[in-house]
Amino acid sequence: MLENSIFFILALFLVGGSIGMISFRQSVFSAISFLLAMIAMSGMFALLHFSFLFLAQILVSVGAVVVMSLLIIVSVNIKSENLPNDKLTLKRFTLSAILISPIVALLFYAINKTDLMFKEVNEEFGSLKLMGVDLFSNWALAFEIISILLLVALVGGIVISKRSSNYESR
Amino acid sequence: MSTLAIVVTLGSIVLAALLALLMIPVLVWLERRVAGLIQDRLGPNRTNVGGFRLGGVVQSFADVVKLVFKEEYYPSHIKSGKLLFTLAPTIMFVSALLAFMTIPFADNVNIAGESFRVQALPVDYGVLWFMAISSIGVIGILFGGWLSHNKYSLLGAQRAGSQLLGFELPLGLSVIAMVITYESVDFNVMVDYQSGVLFGFLPAWGVLIQPLAALIFIITMFAETNRAPFNVVEGESEIIAGHMTEFSAMKFAMYFMGEYIAMNTASAVIITMFFGGYQLPWLSTQDLFSNFSSVVVAIMVVMPIVIFFLIKWMKKNNSVRATLSSDGGRAFETKVLTIVLISMTALIELICLYLFTQSSDSLSATITITLLQIAIFVFKLMVFNIFFIIVRWTLPRFRYDQIQTLGWNYLLPLSLANIIITAIVVVGVN
Repeated sequence: MLENSIFFILALFLVGGSIGMISFRQSVFSAISFLLAMIAMSGMFALLHFSFLFLAQILVSVGAVVVMSLLIIVSVNIKSENLPNDKLTLKRFTLSAILISPIVALLFYAINKTDLMFKEVNEEFGSLKLMGVDLFSNWALAFEIISILLLVALVGGIVISKRSSNYESR
Repeated sequence: MSTLAIVVTLGSIVLAALLALLMIPVLVWLERRVAGLIQDRLGPNRTNVGGFRLGGVVQSFADVVKLVFKEEYYPSHIKSGKLLFTLAPTIMFVSALLAFMTIPFADNVNIAGESFRVQALPVDYGVLWFMAISSIGVIGILFGGWLSHNKYSLLGAQRAGSQLLGFELPLGLSVIAMVITYESVDFNVMVDYQSGVLFGFLPAWGVLIQPLAALIFIITMFAETNRAPFNVVEGESEIIAGHMTEFSAMKFAMYFMGEYIAMNTASAVIITMFFGGYQLPWLSTQDLFSNFSSVVVAIMVVMPIVIFFLIKWMKKNNSVRATLSSDGGRAFETKVLTIVLISMTALIELICLYLFTQSSDSLSATITITLLQIAIFVFKLMVFNIFFIIVRWTLPRFRYDQIQTLGWNYLLPLSLANIIITAIVVVGVN
């Protein structure tokens, strides 16, 4: 009962935040809607006892993506009178509704077909330890390739920034 | 859930809330007194309630009363987003407060076959929780700066965001090096690891095992909390008060208090990861339990000595010049505080005597050692808070480009190299 009510509150925030993100004109309100949606999503993972995804969601989506987009909003600082004047008209709404209707139908069909009674997982499911063991035993190669890719990007960023500072001092 | 579990959990939550919230007035007072000490003046010491000054702590409560009764002022040019404008300081305050909640204040308490964590939030991923939640705080600064519609605020917010991005990476990488060393993301396991002995004579503190990671971590913590020398965010000689320029009354106070809570949280994480947390150096919890009677005797010996010097110091300093006719109740305050301190010491001595002669049950030993560890934790926390304050009043503010260069060009490569060295050593030893 309690879990259900928490789930519905989180779902409300998630749906509301997602709608707000695409419908607000000012980008900063879109950003806070996105923040709300992401926190609600991590709350859902916490509700499922999936502590790894809960933390990763906050670390990556909130701590990096939202902060990065906000930083860009603050740096660009668009005034509301400079925004393009496009309103959500009925014509556009109908057209987009028709365009996405096959995907909605497909989703509806898929959900209807799915057997909604899942078997219960054990107590340890989703803990950091199991996640780490799984990553390093079943997905070791993919994990290592991604980490080397990120490391190269990181080092490349430092090298480029160092070169440009040398250029300035010349 | 047994009564015992409820008592321990409630106790931890109350302790965490007290350590985070009650620390704010104390830290504001300490900041001003230490600044006075460094600049060869006194700092606030006049405000009193019925003659009681407590060295000036009462000033902080007077400040709070002033801020609460101040007019709530909204700049007239803020047309949209007034709610968010009010909410922005709260985001920073709450995130700093929540990040404090996974710090262990004492070792796991074992009572009647059950083990309880002395954390407000009893989870086993403390470091990740701290990093995830503390990164939300800057969102409050960015929103506040943008919604103020003010060039100074905007600059402050922009500086806060880019400073955080530059220092989040070295912070994360130095934490990874420590996680490789401790083989856990659990704060309690980290403290356990540090209660051992290194090379036979040194305490196995993180700062001695990984000096480079400790240095990087402490520097990035200064940058994350926007404390001097990294306070370009509010650099008052350049951009007034940065993101706080348009905030007044309690909205400003929320930002202000959030900064102090963040500083307190940073100190707590530093001592937990690098300075042995709640443990005494060289001694683990097992040692304390097996030598319980000597621990009690040590408390009985140390306590009166500390109180004696405290009273002597208070009698010397809590006075006015001899030429003044009235001392404003300082002699009375000293007298009352002396009586309180002596009776408190006598009570503790009596309890210790009882424990030394009578006790043989494990419950009283557990409670005593838990309280002792909490006291050690608070002592270390205060030492590190004072370290933060001394650094703020000693070093000048760094320039913005110097901070970015430090973060990206020096700390990041150093922390990457540190990870590689740590991994090689750990694999080599195993």
